[in-house]
Formats: sequence, C-alpha cells, structure tokens
Amino acid sequence: MWGARPDGTDADLVSVPFAHASEAEMSRILDFYAVRWEYEPHTFPILWNLDGDVIESFSPDFYLPDLELHLEMTTLRQKLVRKKNRKLRRLRELYPDLNVKLFYARDFRELMLKYGKLALHDGLSGTLGQVASPYAPRDAADTSASPDLAAMTEPTPERPTRRRHGADPRTVQKGSAIHT
Amino acid sequence: MSEHANLHGDVAEILLTEEEIATKVRELGAQISADYRGRRLTLVSVLKGSLPFMADLMRAIEIPVRIDLMEVSSYGGSSTESSGLVRILKDLSASIADEDVLIVEDIIDTGLTLNYLVRYLRGKAPASLHICTLLDKPARRLVEIPVDYRGFTIPDRFVVGYGLDYGELYRNLRYVGVLKPEVYAEVTGG
Repeated sequence: MWGARPDGTDADLVSVPFAHASEAEMSRILDFYAVRWEYEPHTFPILWNLDGDVIESFSPDFYLPDLELHLEMTTLRQKLVRKKNRKLRRLRELYPDLNVKLFYARDFRELMLKYGKLALHDGLSGTLGQVASPYAPRDAADTSASPDLAAMTEPTPERPTRRRHGADPRTVQKGSAIHT
Repeated sequence: MSEHANLHGDVAEILLTEEEIATKVRELGAQISADYRGRRLTLVSVLKGSLPFMADLMRAIEIPVRIDLMEVSSYGGSSTESSGLVRILKDLSASIADEDVLIVEDIIDTGLTLNYLVRYLRGKAPASLHICTLLDKPARRLVEIPVDYRGFTIPDRFVVGYGLDYGELYRNLRYVGVLKPEVYAEVTGG
C-alpha cells in the first residue's frame, strides 16, 4: 500500500505493510482527503508485571498528526471487539490526554456504504480481511471471491516486529514516515 | 438497483418529516438573519446533497445574501478513483475575499470532506468562515470541526432523502429516512 503526496506526485511513495485490508482502505480514504497519517507509530504499554516489565500494550492503527488523533480500526468478531474495548478503556485510564477513536465494523460499513463500496466491505470484514502473512496458511486470506479484495491483499513486505518492551514506560515511538 | 428502486416503498423508517425539516430550516434562517444583519454574507453550498437545504435555507434568510456552489469529488467515485485525491469539480464562481462565508452542508459525519473544504476556503481569505449543517452525525466524526448552525443531531444510521442519496437515488424524497436493508442487499448481492 502506498502513501502519496497531497499534490498527487508519487515521488515519495512508501510501502506500508498493513495488517488488515480495511486499514489499507482507510489509508486510501485519508490520502484522498489529504489527511496526513502514520501507521502504528506509537505503542502504549497498558499492563506491567511486578518486575515492571510491560506485559500488554496497545498500538492504535493510525495516528493523524494534524488532528492529534489516534484511530483504531476493528472489523473483527464481537468477542474480539470486547477485548479491544477493554484495552481501550485501560489506555484511556492511563493516558487521559490521548485522543483515541475506535472505528467499529459498523462504522467502516457505513463508510463503504457512503462511498458506494459496500460489496468491498463485505469482503473485508473479520478474518477474511486479514492481509496474508508470510507465516500464515495461504487460505487464511482467500481473496478469490472478490476481485477488489484480491487487489487489496497483494503480497506485502514482511511486517516489522512490534516493540512491546520500551525503555520509556509510557510510549514507544516507532520509526515511521508521515503519509499525506 | 435503479431498475427496481421504489422511491417511498424502499424507505423503512422516516426519521425527519417534511414538516420537521421545514420548521427547523425556518429557525436556522431566522438565526442566521439575526447573526449576519448588516454584513456581507455568502452562502456556499456543496453539491449535490446540499441542494434542497440550500434552496430552502436561502429563502428562509431575511437579509441580502450571495450564493455560490461547489462540488468536490467523493472517495470511490468512478471519475476520481484513478487520481486517488479529492478534486474540486466545481469551484466558486466569485471571490470570497473579505466576505463573511457560511458553508451550507446537508450532513456532517466523518468531517473529512468538510475539513478539506474548510482548509480550501480559508486559503481564499474570507472575512469569516462558519458552518451550517442540516444534519449532524457526531458518532462517526473523525475530524472535529466546530459547527455553528446545526439542524438536527441524528443517530448513527445511514440516511437518505432531502438531498441525501444512496447510489445517486432518493435525493428527491421530501423527508429524511432510512432504507430497508434489502435495498443494500440488492447492491451487494447479499
């Protein structure tokens, strides 16, 4: 997936390894409206063990620097949404100044409805929308049913390892480019 | 869908009646008239969805106003998909420099389009720039933009009518409503 300059030139095209096709679609929407974004630039520790080691953290999918907004997308099953909601509550308790918005499956569905891409949404929901991992069985992201989806789940570069244990007890800044 | 669309029959629920909308538009018109009395006001409407609201609102305003129309490409539109960037399909027909400008919107949900538009219009140096929307869907907001005149705050549902479309249809409904689920299923093949 690509981030393009606001003036339409592609000189700075940067490959971004999205975890889910819906995230790639969101990046295109943000690009379209010239909203700058970063993909998973920050990791926020939310749980530590007695030794002070981070045992759980949360990396919102997008950070929109001009809006100072973190955006987390979920098109997953309700059970997993509950887990994500719990993590989000914890995040807000620990980092009350953080502006975080959770974009649910229904939010994404309405966005696709608005943009006339509802069929695409149906192909992106849940695990079907997971971009194929080089470590996952090939049928984990079968895209044969949807040409649109197939186009969105083209082979991606190897995903960078997320840092879960940072020296900074609050946030871990990951190296990332800003896309506009 | 267009072959089978049934203007009123496809509507599952009316959220705002024609009378409720008319009453609210009169209230907004009166408020705007009072706030902008003695000033040079230009109403800028964004095609196509805002057309009915603009037509009714401008006639509910009791002070002299200029009007202008803009159209910006929407994400997913067939004519713009290749470019991947929002484009001004129809620009203002006159300068708004030193004018008091009120953007007239049909609905604000994510705020992405409006955010783009506000940035664009600010670059044209108006004396002031404010926003009037008939419908506000704050639950879906990504970009927080201060709304100065708001008709209705509506629930998090996909609405059509009074300018708002689904697949370019239903704009001519006199009310705002929600379509039956099977209307969407026709499109997705579900």
